Amino acid sequence: MVNLQTSWEVRTLSQRASEALAGGQLGLTTGYLFAGLAGLAVFLAAMALVLVYAERKIAAHFQCRLGPMRVGWHGILQSVADSLKLLLKEDIVPTDADRFLHVLAPFMSLLAAILVLVMLPMSPALQVADVNIGVLYVTAVSGLGALGILLGGWSSNNKWSLLGAMRAGAQIISYEVSATLSLLVVVLFSGTLQLSKIVQSQADGWWIWRAPGVGLLAFAIYLIASVAEINRTPFDISEGESELTAGFHTEYSGMRFAFFFLAEFINMFVVSALAATLFLGGWMPFHIGGLATFNAAMDLIPPGAWFAAKSAFLIFVIMWFRWTFPRLRIDQLMRLEWKILLPIGFVNLFLAAMAVLFGFYFFPVQ
Amino acid sequence: MNKMSQEDILTAPLAETAPSSSPAVGMTGPLAAPRPERRGFWWNILSGLRSLLKGMGVTFRYFSRPSTVVTQQYPENRATLKLFDRSRTLLGMIHDENGFHKCTACHFCEKACPNASITVAERPKPATGKPELDYFTWRMDSCTYCNACVIVCPFSVLTMSGTFENSVFDSRLLIYNLTRYAGPTSQVLMKIADPEERKRMIETRGVFSGVPLLRKGGRK
Ligand code: SF4
Ligand code: SF4
Repeated sequence: MVNLQTSWEVRTLSQRASEALAGGQLGLTTGYLFAGLAGLAVFLAAMALVLVYAERKIAAHFQCRLGPMRVGWHGILQSVADSLKLLLKEDIVPTDADRFLHVLAPFMSLLAAILVLVMLPMSPALQVADVNIGVLYVTAVSGLGALGILLGGWSSNNKWSLLGAMRAGAQIISYEVSATLSLLVVVLFSGTLQLSKIVQSQADGWWIWRAPGVGLLAFAIYLIASVAEINRTPFDISEGESELTAGFHTEYSGMRFAFFFLAEFINMFVVSALAATLFLGGWMPFHIGGLATFNAAMDLIPPGAWFAAKSAFLIFVIMWFRWTFPRLRIDQLMRLEWKILLPIGFVNLFLAAMAVLFGFYFFPVQ
Repeated sequence: MNKMSQEDILTAPLAETAPSSSPAVGMTGPLAAPRPERRGFWWNILSGLRSLLKGMGVTFRYFSRPSTVVTQQYPENRATLKLFDRSRTLLGMIHDENGFHKCTACHFCEKACPNASITVAERPKPATGKPELDYFTWRMDSCTYCNACVIVCPFSVLTMSGTFENSVFDSRLLIYNLTRYAGPTSQVLMKIADPEERKRMIETRGVFSGVPLLRKGGRK
């Protein structure tokens, strides 16, 4: 269905590893696998440091402040100092807490974020694994993050934690529906669930504007629903500090608090990267079908840079939301989802199906 | 007002007919809170989106213009530190051009202070019997910088001085004296024509000189 250019051939790390295994090069196999693992670990840590710093700086400038300025040039080492502090802090488990689950919960949260990260196509050569049910996998696994929050809230044996966790549960059940409905629009248009193929299908234009109207609407719904899924303002009722102290992580300190924190920021990256992949073409450069010279000029920028730029832009937008909008009450949150986003999402999906059925979209693929 | 006839009540203005002890006539039940305008589904969504975008525009304007930053990097910019009119700093006292007390010891500031942080000690002028400032105690440790004393002073004597670096290791050093000199009463002083001679007759006082007057158990 999709005209694949040879230059956009995807070779994932796991693919290379299995090829090496088939070729009998055991050393190369372990090398690739290790590179995948170590790369992910380094990526996680670096991403969290950069995002925390970026969030603090951006928040500060939205509020006419300067943000961290003391540690390093313009406070650039602030998050390093903070993470050192968090690592050295005493790690407290409350007396009446369910010890095992209390320790497990932050790892569950982080695990979900990492499992999604594995699938993200960052560039044709940089993707750890690629499965043919990518979109399904990503939606299913990212739901695990809520399990971490639920476990953390329940095992803390604290009223605020429990309330926060329950809110997070209710929220993710609701907004997962809308997020998935809007992802389905892209799946309909591209005709595949595999993330790398979805990226390749956008060689003639990104789905956000190639699918007339419905793409844009689906993108908006996905953005709103995914911000809700990752519990960020204006949907951060699960840790709403004005009424719940700190919500689900009230009883967490030191290392394990840092893990929840890390998971939150990695999740932010994951939803931005997913939105970029599905609606903004992922690593695919900005192409307009038919304009060969223009497309060739755009190809000069490497795909990895396109991906990074698109994700960074969406991350900025999410931070922008956070520092502009007031928090929603829980009833408003539910009304927004069940009475507004969900009906619109259904109608949008129907319209998208119609558009695909009659081939009514810009630059029809061959 | 009790003898008003039914007709009078109906024709008179509302404020007059309502006795102050009972709720106003014509007001039954609780006041209705203003409700946001409700219109159709799409109108609500679009107007909501519009206001959200407007808010994002406001924050982006601040974000994109570093000149809007109000943070001052305090210890580094000591030399260029900019204090605003509303900043509340150590209380200061303005003296007249010759350096003599402008304060008339009227005690208004003392009465206005919600924390009893100010104690004004006066002494009578021998001939007229009018009071004259003797000692002005300001307890920085209990002051909340509410500015009330500055506002009430009828002679604009008190001011927020603009200095605020006053950390000390002994809480007794937080009790300040705002007068600048001790000496003969103003009547005696003003008889001396030569300003230099006058200066010689008085003894300068610093913020910690003299015996501060503390309320409750203090010298009064
Ligand atoms: S600023 Fe307020 S609290 Fe302080 S001395 Fe004046 S009146 Fe009292
Ligand atoms: S109100 Fe002014 S004039 Fe009166 S005692 Fe206080 S400082 Fe002096």
